[in-house]
Amino acid sequence: MSDLEIYRAKAAAWLESMAPTYGRAARKGLSEADDLALGRRYQKAKFEAGYAGINWPTEYGGQGLTHLEKVTFDAEEMKHGFPNFYFGISLGMPVPVLMQFGSDKEFVKERVLKALQGEEIWCQLFSEPSGGSDLAGLRTRAEPDGNGWKINGQKVWTSWAHYSDYGVIVVRTDPTVPKHKGLTYFWVDMKAPGVTVRPIKLAGGDSHVNEVFFDDVKISDDHRMSPVGGGFAVAITTLMIERYVATDSAGFGPHLDLFVDLAKETLLNGKPAIEDGRIRQQIARNHAMRSGLDSINVRARLMMQAGMIPGAEGSLNKLVAVRSRQKLSELAIDLQGTDGFTFDEHASQKEDWASSWINAPTGRIAGGSDETLLNTIAEKVLGLPQDHRPDKGIPFNQIPA
Amino acid sequence: MTILYDEGQQAIATESRRVLEARVSKDALLPLLETVGEYHRPFWDTAKEQGWTALALPEAHGGLGLGLVELGLIAHQAGRSVSGAPFLTSNFGAAKAIELYGTDAQKARWLPGLASGETIGAIAFAGGPDALPRQPEVTLTGDLLDGFARGVSGGLAADVAIVLANGPGMAALVLVDLAGVERSAIASFDNSRCLADLHFAATPAESLAVGSVARDAALHILALQAVVTAHEQTGGAEVLMEIARDYALTRRAFGQPIGAFQSVKHRIAELYGLVELARANCIHAAAREGQADFITAAAAARLSATEAYDTAARDCIQIHGGIGVTWELGLHLHMRRARSLAIEQGSSLFWEDVLVDRLAGEAA
Repeated sequence: MSDLEIYRAKAAAWLESMAPTYGRAARKGLSEADDLALGRRYQKAKFEAGYAGINWPTEYGGQGLTHLEKVTFDAEEMKHGFPNFYFGISLGMPVPVLMQFGSDKEFVKERVLKALQGEEIWCQLFSEPSGGSDLAGLRTRAEPDGNGWKINGQKVWTSWAHYSDYGVIVVRTDPTVPKHKGLTYFWVDMKAPGVTVRPIKLAGGDSHVNEVFFDDVKISDDHRMSPVGGGFAVAITTLMIERYVATDSAGFGPHLDLFVDLAKETLLNGKPAIEDGRIRQQIARNHAMRSGLDSINVRARLMMQAGMIPGAEGSLNKLVAVRSRQKLSELAIDLQGTDGFTFDEHASQKEDWASSWINAPTGRIAGGSDETLLNTIAEKVLGLPQDHRPDKGIPFNQIPA
Repeated sequence: MTILYDEGQQAIATESRRVLEARVSKDALLPLLETVGEYHRPFWDTAKEQGWTALALPEAHGGLGLGLVELGLIAHQAGRSVSGAPFLTSNFGAAKAIELYGTDAQKARWLPGLASGETIGAIAFAGGPDALPRQPEVTLTGDLLDGFARGVSGGLAADVAIVLANGPGMAALVLVDLAGVERSAIASFDNSRCLADLHFAATPAESLAVGSVARDAALHILALQAVVTAHEQTGGAEVLMEIARDYALTRRAFGQPIGAFQSVKHRIAELYGLVELARANCIHAAAREGQADFITAAAAARLSATEAYDTAARDCIQIHGGIGVTWELGLHLHMRRARSLAIEQGSSLFWEDVLVDRLAGEAA
């Protein structure tokens, strides 16, 4: 057994032992407040067992291991349905950026340790009502105010802002220069006066994203994490932190086996649907697509293990997997006919076709829309030209609205 | 087996690409389209000279003892260049059938020639729409073969064929010396495949496998060939994606390169996705030879590679506009090849069924 396999086996055994207390079954029927409390205890247990901050520096309470151990652990962890999503954004992007760009090391260390133990949660305040994909077009502004800054504006789609203690934010500090050049990156206290958080209920019924309003929110200059006007580069770092995160060729929807089972037990024209050519074709096509992604991901892992940098094909994961999950979920509902009307908004997207279907659009938009991902592949991988951008090089305050 | 190519394997890919790009041009391939029964001899001479014919065959019989991974790499490059003959795959299939199911005498008789490429092999399993018919049209009586084998790739040039026949109450996989066997050439949209109907009339045949094992053996041979063909299809799709990309960078319309329009650049980005999924499935399948899930892996490779090559052929021509449909530009060489390779070794319809039978636990 390789070292990594030993690591995997140990992690799997530990996760198995945690499942009765924190896993899928233990969470059933809990209110969100109770589920979050359970999540905080689970995060603490991870920290104590050495599974928090796996690839983070030990000086910040991490384990000092590689990305490989982190991905290995995540893949095992995914199987049990633990209440870990409250910390996904927090530990995924804002806190690593804080470690990299925070100026007051003692303060940073304290925050990182609390975040790793589930005591504090961070959110990421990027998207705005005027644009998500066009990040640099944001309008929330920070103006000099004494020795510090005063923030006014609105952010949106901010995951877990309603539970967050802190956030990282990109704001416009200079509207007289082209849009990418007038941005600055700060951290903010989400409990500060003038910060208002309003949950947004999504189509599937849950409310994990929010609108966040800033009305004369005052911060001191030590909150600044980039040079004034240098915020875009830090924001891009945030988005690029983990190119190969734990992937799921099922697009975070149900496994194909569940569709095969459904097709075997459903009668179509008096015969099991698994004998119907239309159904068979979709099963075969989805399997071929998923096995391709699985092979891409195994290859990426082997390359990282060998000290190589994985190829750009990893960028296909979300694009390909989520949109095919969306269509397969529709077909699964078709297969059930009138039995497919039932809906439980608390059902798991990984086990329930209706839940998978209704939440699929979020997956195709959040974290880079399909169109943005296609642009990225075309421009960064294939070297095709950028789109025509009429706002390029124009001072922000002169761009026609 | 790891799915990362080692240095030796990477060298095979680089060298075969260099040789083929130097020796194969569309100017040599285009006239073959208008000639029935002729293949691109420089391609086959190159395959023999470079040892590609011997690559995946056992050393004891003149082969090099490498495997599906290495042959796949060659096939990928051959696909990029639109290979000039179908024998790289058909010889491999025929030789594997003899290696796996033949007697020592049969191996000694046929394998050295197939390995050197002096002998040409063909596979004749299909009957029209059915890649692996339950009732083949060719019948075996005693050790004599009668009937038609239809649409055999390489059949016009082959010296030996492996045929799936209908024996008395059971299927039989047989080896047939084609010397003296009557063949009729098929005028096709892709004539360098040397397609022919084989007419057997009391033709002597030697059994390789009889009964239920015959069908399993035939499926195994077909899967081995399908993995080679999938690599070839992926190579073709890859080069078409590159051609489309290069054209979109240089061709201008409405004051900018056409690649700056999302309708064009997204189409090419989608091709990238199809090519990479096909490549990943090919690499996986080649590494699964001999494992219990090999047929499943081969089916996935075949399905994604067929989709990639067909789509790339369609879209690359579309992105070129008018120039794309000219005889001279030769993109239709790929369009034709995408379809002939889609049929050889069983169409997508066949492999979808094979795959779902396995996923649903219904495999016979």
